Amino acid sequence: MSVDAQNYAFVKRRRPKPSAKGRTRLAAAALRYCALLTFLAILVIFSTSAPFFLSIFNIGNILGQTAVTGVLAIGLTVVVIAGGPNVVTGGIDLSLAANMGLSAAVYASLLQMGYGDGSAALSALGTGLIIGAVNALAVAQIGIVPLLATLAVMNVVAGLELVLTENTVIPASSDLLTGLSSGALFGIPSLGYVLIGFSLVMGLIIQNTRFGLRLYAVGEFPEAARAAGIPVKAYVSASFLISGFCGGIAGILNTAYLSGSSTGSGEMLLPVVVTALLGSVFSRRLVPTIGGTLLSALFVGVLLNGFQLLNLSSTLVSGVQGVLILLTVSATTLIRRES
Amino acid sequence: MNEFCGQPTTGASVLRMTGIVKTFGGARALDGAALEVGRGSVHGLVGQNGAGKSTLIKILAGLHQPDEGIIEICGTPQDRLTPKLAEALGIHFIHQDRLLPPSFSVGEALFLGDEPVYGGLQLLNRSGMRREAARLLKSYFDLELPDGALIADLTTAEKQIIQITRALIRKPKILVFDEPTAALVRREADILFGLIRRLAGEGVTILYISHYLREIEEICDAVTVLRNGRDVATLSLSDTSAAEIGQLMVAREAGDLFPPRHSAIGTDYLRVRDLALDRKFEPLSFTLRRGEILGLTGLLGSGAKDLMRVLFGLEAATSGEIVIGERKLRFDTPRQAARARIALVPEDRRRHGVALEMTVQENTTLANLGRFLRFGRLDPRAEENATQELIRKLQIKTSGPRALVRSLSGGNQQKVAIAKWLGRDTELYLLDEPTVGVDIGAKAEIYSLIADLAAQGAGIILLSSDLDELIGLADRVLVMFRGRITCELLSSHTTATEILAEATGAPERSRHVG
Repeated sequence: MSVDAQNYAFVKRRRPKPSAKGRTRLAAAALRYCALLTFLAILVIFSTSAPFFLSIFNIGNILGQTAVTGVLAIGLTVVVIAGGPNVVTGGIDLSLAANMGLSAAVYASLLQMGYGDGSAALSALGTGLIIGAVNALAVAQIGIVPLLATLAVMNVVAGLELVLTENTVIPASSDLLTGLSSGALFGIPSLGYVLIGFSLVMGLIIQNTRFGLRLYAVGEFPEAARAAGIPVKAYVSASFLISGFCGGIAGILNTAYLSGSSTGSGEMLLPVVVTALLGSVFSRRLVPTIGGTLLSALFVGVLLNGFQLLNLSSTLVSGVQGVLILLTVSATTLIRRES
Repeated sequence: MNEFCGQPTTGASVLRMTGIVKTFGGARALDGAALEVGRGSVHGLVGQNGAGKSTLIKILAGLHQPDEGIIEICGTPQDRLTPKLAEALGIHFIHQDRLLPPSFSVGEALFLGDEPVYGGLQLLNRSGMRREAARLLKSYFDLELPDGALIADLTTAEKQIIQITRALIRKPKILVFDEPTAALVRREADILFGLIRRLAGEGVTILYISHYLREIEEICDAVTVLRNGRDVATLSLSDTSAAEIGQLMVAREAGDLFPPRHSAIGTDYLRVRDLALDRKFEPLSFTLRRGEILGLTGLLGSGAKDLMRVLFGLEAATSGEIVIGERKLRFDTPRQAARARIALVPEDRRRHGVALEMTVQENTTLANLGRFLRFGRLDPRAEENATQELIRKLQIKTSGPRALVRSLSGGNQQKVAIAKWLGRDTELYLLDEPTVGVDIGAKAEIYSLIADLAAQGAGIILLSSDLDELIGLADRVLVMFRGRITCELLSSHTTATEILAEATGAPERSRHVG
């Protein structure tokens, strides 16, 4: 066998990579860029076909509309990180939308009963935390599959909301609410800033701290986490507490956005799940991240907004959301299987 | 480390387990086993699958509580060992399964549980992790990984190295290796052995569990042999040979490991001409005759594994041809290869070889359900009879065709993986490390099964990093090095040393093979 130039080049390769993995890497990158390109393309389409789309007012509007779903989706993302990406056996919190509804109802009712902003807001956050704690107890301590545990909690919470509100809208107004819903700096409502600020804080915690890294280990490979001395149950519990807390925050934001508690919070569930699942497509390692979820929340918000501006039927929206779920889940599943 | 265990004496026993009994359900996994390990020694633990090794180790790790027995660490009895306590006592484990989250970077995986952080906010020091990871890997293993490499991108051997480095960071006092070389090629294993000696020299006590008796012989000071939940002997390696250890493990002569070969080697069956795969191996040619066992070996990145993948259509060749009989074939999918009566028994049997959650019967008949169709319906009795036949023929140890494959030992799972292809008139078997992690008794049975297949006229390509296996079983051995077949050796005229020299690219004299 002669050593020609080509052979020499071969020998010089220090570390040949298995090409299946190379392909996976490539597919992952393609998926990520496709997602970003689709996002850009949609922005371009909407801004050319609906001139109003790019106005500051509308961008502020999108951010405001997205705030509630965004905060809820971030909560769900934390649960997915700690529970693993498998939708059936992994981390999921179906009670988030109902949690938001009950927290909002608690907040609005207390305001109506004459309590101050502070105690009402704390009660709303407390409500969210308690719901999170019940989920944590059911999943981490008792060991019920998250899908079932949070489904049950969702129904209980939705029932409590009905008892509290008797299925009516409770109007509410307070300084905090006014501040949140108006307060337009540079034409963007405070709700938008709250979403950005909340994402930054959560991003810092989840993406850049010891706690966050361990959360990923717990979700992705519980055995490895356990071997590294990480208390897996405590971390799973923490993820549900965080998502419950997000439910509480979203409750306050939603009350601000609608100037009162509303019925039918359950309809939020699908968009929140879409947003959280879609989020991992925007991350380099194809895992759920806070930044990815924020991007996907904006993506879904832009879609909704664009459809409204173009006078497309709102029934189309849930169709599109369903398709998005199918596309992302199948793409990520295919790539994972490849590796 | 002179003050280790609070006593500066050397040679005192660091770990003493006596009279350990552990029952699971009705089965006695351990029946009064004992293990005593001296400080700074490399102590081997061997036994067939089911002898109780893993239960003993799990008890030491605090994962199981023994029903009876005493565990003393540094002379202090520990009546309730938990994983945390074990770690606090300085006992660390290199598990057989590589416990590393796939989406983590190398640095993150190395420091998980002990991450370097900034200040009270516990912000991760990512650049520090990356730098430190690179430094540690370089200094311990001379391993350089590309910046930002994720665990998912690494090879099995590299993951193993990360796992070992993880334990070393924690400054272990007792380091337990559970089958550490199962996924390593010889050169990597040598690096590991050097490291183990270095650690032992620094006073770290090593407990080394392996199926490879040669390794035990090579690096251990003493060895404890477990059989049926009891320690049958603890021997010093200075006056014990691998063969004697093997005899203690089974009531079987180690010489019986390899079956006598009676196959009459027939006509050329498979001809590979100038087959190449871009960036993996350059054009190479060889032939395989009917009834022949062709050994194939090479280090990580030699292309040997990729060659197997191409032969089974898992990867399409860049150029060259595969000729079977008179037909030129091209495999782009495994289905085409299977149609051409080629079978692959993959290395990672638990992921690719068998379906763990299905029964023995389902596994063995899955690949050829068509045979059991009667009037378009599956004939369960025919299926069951065929499975019984295979169980008998391959001596698969199972409670019956309906037992879940998960419940079988590693060696028997491997037999099921091979059995799957037997019903299909397979003419070429590609066996990828068929005895990795398999105990010595099952190994002998798998070897005789392979020899039988050859005797019936099948061609066999045996990819293995177990040099004794190549010499004992194969007729010829092809050695690959950096994408080329560097030599072809007749196994009756070669030695493990020679194969090793060729595989590491350091041949004593150059041999030319077409």
